[in-house]
Amino acid sequence: MLGLRRDKKDEEDGFSLNPFNNLEKTSVLQEARTFNETPINPRKCCHILTKVLYLINQGEHIATTEATETFFAMTKLFQSQDVTLRRMVYLTIKEMADLAEDVIIVTSSLTKDMTGKEDMYRAAAIRALCRITDSTMLQSIERYMKQAIVDRNPSVSSAALTSSLHLMRSSGDVVKRWVNEAAEAASSDNIMVQYHAIGVLYHIKKTDRLGVSKLVSKFTKQSLRSPYAYCLLIRIATKLLEEESEGRDSPLFDFIETCLRHKSELVIYEAAHAIVNMPNTSARELAPAISVLQLFCSSPKPTLRFAAVRTLNKVAMKHPAAVAACNLDLENLITDVNRSIATLAITTLLKTGSESSVDRLMKQISTFMSEISDEFKIVVVQAIRSLCLKFPRKHGVLMNFLASMLRDENSSNSSQGGFDYKRAIVDSLIGIIEENPDAKEAGLAHLCEFIEDCEHTVLATRILHLLGREGPRTPSPSKYIRFIYNRVILENSAVRAAAVSALAKFGAHCEELMPSVVVLLSRSLLDTDDEVRDRATFYLNVLKQGNKALNSAYILNGLNVSVVGLERALHSYTLEPSETQFDMKSVPLATQPLAEQKTAEVTPAAKAPDKVAATRQDIYAEQLAAIPEFQGLGPLFKSSAAVQLTESETEYVVRCIKHTFTNHIVFQFDCTNTLNDQILENVTVQMEPTEGFEVLSYVPAASLPYGQPGITYTCVALPEDDPTSVIGTFSNTLKFLVKDCDPNTGEPDEEGYEDEYVLEDVEVTISDHIQKVLKPNFAASWDEVGEDYQMEDTYALSTVKTLEDAVKNIVDHMGMQPCERSDKVPADKSAHTLFLAGVYRGGHDVLVRARLAVDDGVTMQITVRSTDETAAEVISASVG
Amino acid sequence: MGFFDTLARWLGMKKKEVNVICVGLDNSGKTTIINKLKPQNAQQSDIVPTIGFTVEKFASASLSFTVFDMSGQGRYRNLWEHYYKDAQAIIFVIDSSDKLRMVVAKDELEQLLNNQDILSKRIPILFYANKMDMKESLSAVKVSQMMGLEAIKDKPWHICASNAITGEGLPEGVEWVTDQIRSMKK
Repeated sequence: MLGLRRDKKDEEDGFSLNPFNNLEKTSVLQEARTFNETPINPRKCCHILTKVLYLINQGEHIATTEATETFFAMTKLFQSQDVTLRRMVYLTIKEMADLAEDVIIVTSSLTKDMTGKEDMYRAAAIRALCRITDSTMLQSIERYMKQAIVDRNPSVSSAALTSSLHLMRSSGDVVKRWVNEAAEAASSDNIMVQYHAIGVLYHIKKTDRLGVSKLVSKFTKQSLRSPYAYCLLIRIATKLLEEESEGRDSPLFDFIETCLRHKSELVIYEAAHAIVNMPNTSARELAPAISVLQLFCSSPKPTLRFAAVRTLNKVAMKHPAAVAACNLDLENLITDVNRSIATLAITTLLKTGSESSVDRLMKQISTFMSEISDEFKIVVVQAIRSLCLKFPRKHGVLMNFLASMLRDENSSNSSQGGFDYKRAIVDSLIGIIEENPDAKEAGLAHLCEFIEDCEHTVLATRILHLLGREGPRTPSPSKYIRFIYNRVILENSAVRAAAVSALAKFGAHCEELMPSVVVLLSRSLLDTDDEVRDRATFYLNVLKQGNKALNSAYILNGLNVSVVGLERALHSYTLEPSETQFDMKSVPLATQPLAEQKTAEVTPAAKAPDKVAATRQDIYAEQLAAIPEFQGLGPLFKSSAAVQLTESETEYVVRCIKHTFTNHIVFQFDCTNTLNDQILENVTVQMEPTEGFEVLSYVPAASLPYGQPGITYTCVALPEDDPTSVIGTFSNTLKFLVKDCDPNTGEPDEEGYEDEYVLEDVEVTISDHIQKVLKPNFAASWDEVGEDYQMEDTYALSTVKTLEDAVKNIVDHMGMQPCERSDKVPADKSAHTLFLAGVYRGGHDVLVRARLAVDDGVTMQITVRSTDETAAEVISASVG
Repeated sequence: MGFFDTLARWLGMKKKEVNVICVGLDNSGKTTIINKLKPQNAQQSDIVPTIGFTVEKFASASLSFTVFDMSGQGRYRNLWEHYYKDAQAIIFVIDSSDKLRMVVAKDELEQLLNNQDILSKRIPILFYANKMDMKESLSAVKVSQMMGLEAIKDKPWHICASNAITGEGLPEGVEWVTDQIRSMKK
């Protein structure tokens, strides 16, 4: 009785349910010596093998010698004829194939089993054999594999085919020779064998496009038994269509369309899914696929309903009209017993529905919000966010909904993670605030309420930062102070520090709040945390100065330097002590990740390379600093994006990156030689500059073998006598010494000859001299720079018709950072003001205010302010 | 070993099992010999070079043999030693027509005899001077001379000429091993 009770208790605690818990590796390996005993006890050995497998799968590290010893002991189990034990041995061989040495010892034993009479062994033996075989050993078992592929037993044939797929990775050449056997297996009656055979055939021909299209056309003509094979063919056909970008009248598309009338639901769904996801489909082509999905929506099988509604949900934004046709069926699914289906149905309706139905749907969804998992809640949140962008007027309802989601989550089970979900909500709220000025106040209020009870430091600091930025500019900033100060009293040190910074921003921006903020900040002077104390002291002192320029520089607008660059600069400064003070302007500026994210929202494809670009300049700076010729140029100011100077399929591919220094520009040419029978040596790019520019030096690439990119540099001095002429065009010629070489060995001939290759021109524009800088508070910076060097001019932009185009053109031309989200033009306005901020070469701040008005053409009044006269001149001159 | 096993063996229904390891250079005919010793219906028609090892079973009049048929190729020979420990007898196959590599076989034999697991045990070694049908093949006596078998003092050994393809000479060797193992048990 006592034991029973203890068992029960253990069960509740979650212990001892697993008989393999607390296995010791050494004792298990010790036990494995039992394998050497005769006669063999199959039951005991099976149990030990299970333990070994368990250990391996728990990630226990088994050293090579230990593993080899156990492996060889295990090989002795081949003398037992026990079926279960033998199959355990196969499993263990597969698991230990990479751990032990000389695993090929079991090759003959496995080939014997795979060709033997015992069907229970054959398929498993093939799989184990292929696992231990490397490309050098494959020759010796090739004959058996070929036989096995065409074996009459479907499980053997399937095992051989799937193993071939795995072997393809290591020794594709050998597997290619099995194409005839695979083709024979493809006409098998067994559905799995047929599917696997077509898979193997496809992978054999994968690199040969003609071969693949022949394969598809062959199998689309004959009717296959296997629905899986059909699905595979549909996928291959879709891929081919995508690559060839053929029209919809191709036989491949016809094939996919006929699959919509297949008798298997699996095939029908696959075909519909393929058609719906194709780019540029017309409504007529979509219609049959959508109607199939519509039919699935009312299927009695939950899987089909789920698949259909999920597919519709995915493409709802792409083909709203087509998906809207299914609205009636989706409405029925809202009350589906399966919550996942219901959620997807509602969010799809939200995406396609009209403004009037939003309220009703939101009410519906709120009834079961608490019943669905976080993953689907995030789907809902994202749907609401896109809805907000679509119907800005509905922001009230939607934001209330988001806020109540946050609240419910907080009150119910706040301890249980849900971080991703909360972050999704907070992201959406912040996104809505940024896109829609009307929603700002309501949104900030919701966020304030949220941080009152928020256990995620990351979210709290993020919201506090946002409050600090947006709060002071609302009509009644004082109401946020209470929320922020509560954080100073109640939270952990990271949040307290963020709250102190936010408070300081209120003080700096709103004069009437200054005295109270000073009082609040002074209370933090005795905080227990260093960071909080330091921040409070710093801000307090700055605020007490009452100097607007200081406020703007140190509180409202943060540092704009690259953190990596700053670290390197400070490090070298401390290494070589000098009398002069550390110069902030010598630190490279941060490239603007924030701006890039905004463009990335429009084109998701551009997102990945942009992320790299954030640290790109630091990498370039390091590379350039390593070249002795460029030692005296000072810090790197800006690196441009790469420009192609050749077509992508020519003999030599060259792209250019412009690196701007204080008084020089270094052109970096990344060259690739695409001819495999040539080696280029001493490669330089000869530049013919426009007047005023002077080519100082060339750094050649010593050798450029086939396919390996090499870098050559050209250094150009900017005109000294006339600092305002900074724009120019350079014509370029690639010069090099060609040596012919053997394409196979790469051995070059002794003799070479000089040759050259004309490249496209490179232009140096104004944007190469300006680094983007985000000024969170443009007005403060505008006053800070002052009127000393101000240029003003008015232009009529006759070529552009709308404000959006004008803004886009100006931003592209200047290469400066739009501030205060002024790059977004509100709809139905006839006038707009664009604020641009940047730093001119040499570290001078430049600010541009462009007032735009539309009437017939666009008229622009542009005002340039800078801390340096030349910079202001250059920029205002560049506009014309 | 349960009571029924003992009873069965006593009644001659179930034979005692012994483990044997079969070694020798590559292409000396190990797998062919083992194949020929198996019952008629279990024999394979074509023999390919062994990679690693295979386990085979056959029976003599009173014993049931489990043979570890090892691969003879150079790079696998160092794997033999993993199987010495529980071997109760060794079958060493020599290609009696391959005079050139007789020294290699001798070398391998010496290594085998000097192995820790073999050195201490008094286990019978059976030599098959295989391929006796070949024209240039040496007699069993000549082979034993070239292999230096007289030097083996502490273990019983026996050499017999054989032809694995016809099966000639094989039963004689198996009989000798059977006798040796039975006498050792007594």
